[in-house]
Amino acid sequence: MSLAMTLPGRAATPALRALGGAVILLLAWELAAQRLGGAYLLAGPVEVARWLTENPGLTGRALAVTLWNGAAGFVLGNLVAMLLAGAALIWPRSQPVITGLSLLVFCLPLVATGPILRVLMGPGNAPQIALAALAVFYTTLIPLLVGLRAAPAVWFDLVRSYGRGRMAELRHIRARAALPYLFAGLQIAAPAAFLGAMVGEFTGAERGLGVLTIRFLRALDVPGLWAVCSVAATVSILAYAGIGALARAVLREPPPLILSMPSTERAPHALVSTALVAALALLIWWAGMEAMSLNPFFAKRPGDVLDALLIAPDAAETRARLGAALSETAIFLLPGYVAGLVIGAALAMAVTLLPAAGALVLPLAVALRSVPIVATAPLIVLLLGRGALGTITLVGVMVFFPTFVACLHGLRQTPGQIRDVFDCFAASRLRRLVDLQIPAMLPAFFAAARMAVPAAVLAVTVVEWLATGRGIGSLMALSASLSDYDMLWSCVLVVAVLSALGFAAIAGIERRMLSRLAPEQVRQ
Amino acid sequence: MPADPPPPDILCRGLAKVFPGGVEVLSPLDVALAAGQTTALVGPSGCGKSTLLRLIAGLEDPSAGSILIGGETPDHMRRQAAISVAFQDPSLLPWRSLRGNIALGRKLARLPADQALVDRLIRLVGLAGFEATRPAALSGGMRQRAAIARALASAPRLLLLDEPFGAVDELTRRQLALDLPPLWQERGTTTLLVTHSVSEAVFLADRILVLSLRPARIVADIAVPLPHPRLSDLADSAGFHALASQVSTALARGVAA
Ligand SMILES: Nc1ncnc2c1ncn2[C@@H]1O[C@H](COP(=O)(O)OP(=O)(O)OP(=O)(O)O)[C@@H](O)[C@H]1O
Ligand SMILES: [Mg+2]
Repeated sequence: MSLAMTLPGRAATPALRALGGAVILLLAWELAAQRLGGAYLLAGPVEVARWLTENPGLTGRALAVTLWNGAAGFVLGNLVAMLLAGAALIWPRSQPVITGLSLLVFCLPLVATGPILRVLMGPGNAPQIALAALAVFYTTLIPLLVGLRAAPAVWFDLVRSYGRGRMAELRHIRARAALPYLFAGLQIAAPAAFLGAMVGEFTGAERGLGVLTIRFLRALDVPGLWAVCSVAATVSILAYAGIGALARAVLREPPPLILSMPSTERAPHALVSTALVAALALLIWWAGMEAMSLNPFFAKRPGDVLDALLIAPDAAETRARLGAALSETAIFLLPGYVAGLVIGAALAMAVTLLPAAGALVLPLAVALRSVPIVATAPLIVLLLGRGALGTITLVGVMVFFPTFVACLHGLRQTPGQIRDVFDCFAASRLRRLVDLQIPAMLPAFFAAARMAVPAAVLAVTVVEWLATGRGIGSLMALSASLSDYDMLWSCVLVVAVLSALGFAAIAGIERRMLSRLAPEQVRQ
Repeated sequence: MPADPPPPDILCRGLAKVFPGGVEVLSPLDVALAAGQTTALVGPSGCGKSTLLRLIAGLEDPSAGSILIGGETPDHMRRQAAISVAFQDPSLLPWRSLRGNIALGRKLARLPADQALVDRLIRLVGLAGFEATRPAALSGGMRQRAAIARALASAPRLLLLDEPFGAVDELTRRQLALDLPPLWQERGTTTLLVTHSVSEAVFLADRILVLSLRPARIVADIAVPLPHPRLSDLADSAGFHALASQVSTALARGVAA
């Protein structure tokens, strides 16, 4: 559903409104900097602009490196996503395993994957590119899997009625039907790739915006830090908007809302596919390390990690440290996650009751949604300190924006004919919201809640790694700097499995709720 | 009755279909359709007309019995691109223009592009001027006409039309009933037409099969010995009315039984 078409106040073009939103944002920011600059470590847009004009070379060189890494990772990650989607199409039974493995890989905590990749791949840009690819492939794979099936059965009957097979289906129907979904995925992927490259740079690269960020954070160079984060945010918004513009130029149809997970026709039992995913993950992990004959000192095999966690003399101590770090993280993660979801959904409903406010807020929210919040983590730490408030806020903000935007879209998603029925009875806005729009919003809400799990984990681990010195992120940072690879790999494994389980748990609640409240939404 | 009946082209023997869940749609059906003839299928909604069409097109496998088209299986004929179907749902591809959708009929049948034929079909179904329009900007009836044109574009040997005029207004329907049949008759196309309109069945068909409620069986097999080409004044003739009331009676009998 196109935003421009559904907003009231059709007169203003989206570009004009985006510009207006940007101006308001800049003004508010400058005002805040002038009023609160004494109490908080805050640099306004004027100061940021001055800093940038004084340091053009430094910023430009770092930006070029990060852009290149992000772009390379973007291409690589999306190519992998397309290959995997193709495999799932050719062999539908493999789809649950492909999506399960992909989810597990997507849930790897990037902050710890970075240092591991660095010792595996050596110095240079390769680890950052790999991280950028890891950050994007899942969010492209899922829409592609949905899009390749997003066609009514009768279109396939048409192709079959001429005696044509799957290649013709792919060429004439699936490829084109998937295009809007692909663009939707690419649009989310563009800022995510940039973010992935930056997280890679946070964790030990030599050059790039992320490296500058770390340097300025250590030196408490407030204008420098705000400038670098502003550049990162602007690049992300531009990348997001650029792909959106490309999509509008290529496609005639409005972008799709990607709600449910792709369904498979002949899926094996959930337990069977989970077991398969686990077995395959271990096998690929082990075989990959062996095939490259990597040094077991830093390239731990599944057996080493199990040994460290279960058998070794200090296993109990390892587990205790892991558990303590995890529970410390959970204290920040859970309230932030829940707050982000609740505030996102509540604000979306409030804005729906006050359409005039919605027209103003939505373009801004869409723009901010594309900001890699994690890249601005240092700013939140600067503003709110290294305590609980900063971390919880960061997680909350990370969860809030996608939830808010998805819920707003969902609220506007009600089918026209049903809306007409409510119009006939001149139903009030509140009645509409309760009976019509909230049920229509639920799938979008759950989709956002599901995808927010890995995002929240990423946010919390990055901020712990960078700043707070607590929780699992800090434990990973410590293990990386002490070359305690047993602990580092254990952290990666445990965090990935826990976030994949969290994701699956939300998906389970989603399925149960939707089958009760909106049964027509459960099937694709 | 023609003195010398043409040889059977489609032969169904003991044809039955039970959908998963036990919905029995066709009670064993034996029927032979002559080559080059137009047969109309009429019957109550949900009795299995579309299912029968899909079985003949090889899009669905029968639960029992067999279908032969010119001595071959539907799958074989399908792979020869000898069949084309105008589905009950017009199923145009939204990203192709009207012209592109009709040309797709030739492309899918692996035939060379034929711009002149495509344009002639567009004119025949009364859509001239909309060549570049996307389906979303066409009305329901216009989309149906486009689907008929697409089905005709590949010059099939077997043409299956599932309520092709369902959403078309009465006047346009009559015009199409005059303009389109020559197109398949001059090529000797065997045509199977599902329709809810008794007069349309009599006007277009050489033979009418009246089906009962689900599971469908043939309650009447009525020959329409009216000469071709049929002109619009035919609908006023006494013979036409007699046939129409015969079909209506049979329909009522099929529903009552
Ligand atoms: N794929 C399917 N699975 C289960 N049942 C089906 C399927 N397709 C059709 N049916 C059932 O078979 C019966 C006949 O369907 P069909 O579409 O052939 O009817 P029809 O005679 O074409 O009706 P109409 O005139 O309304 O188009 C219906 O009761 C329908 O519910
Ligand atoms: Mg039908």
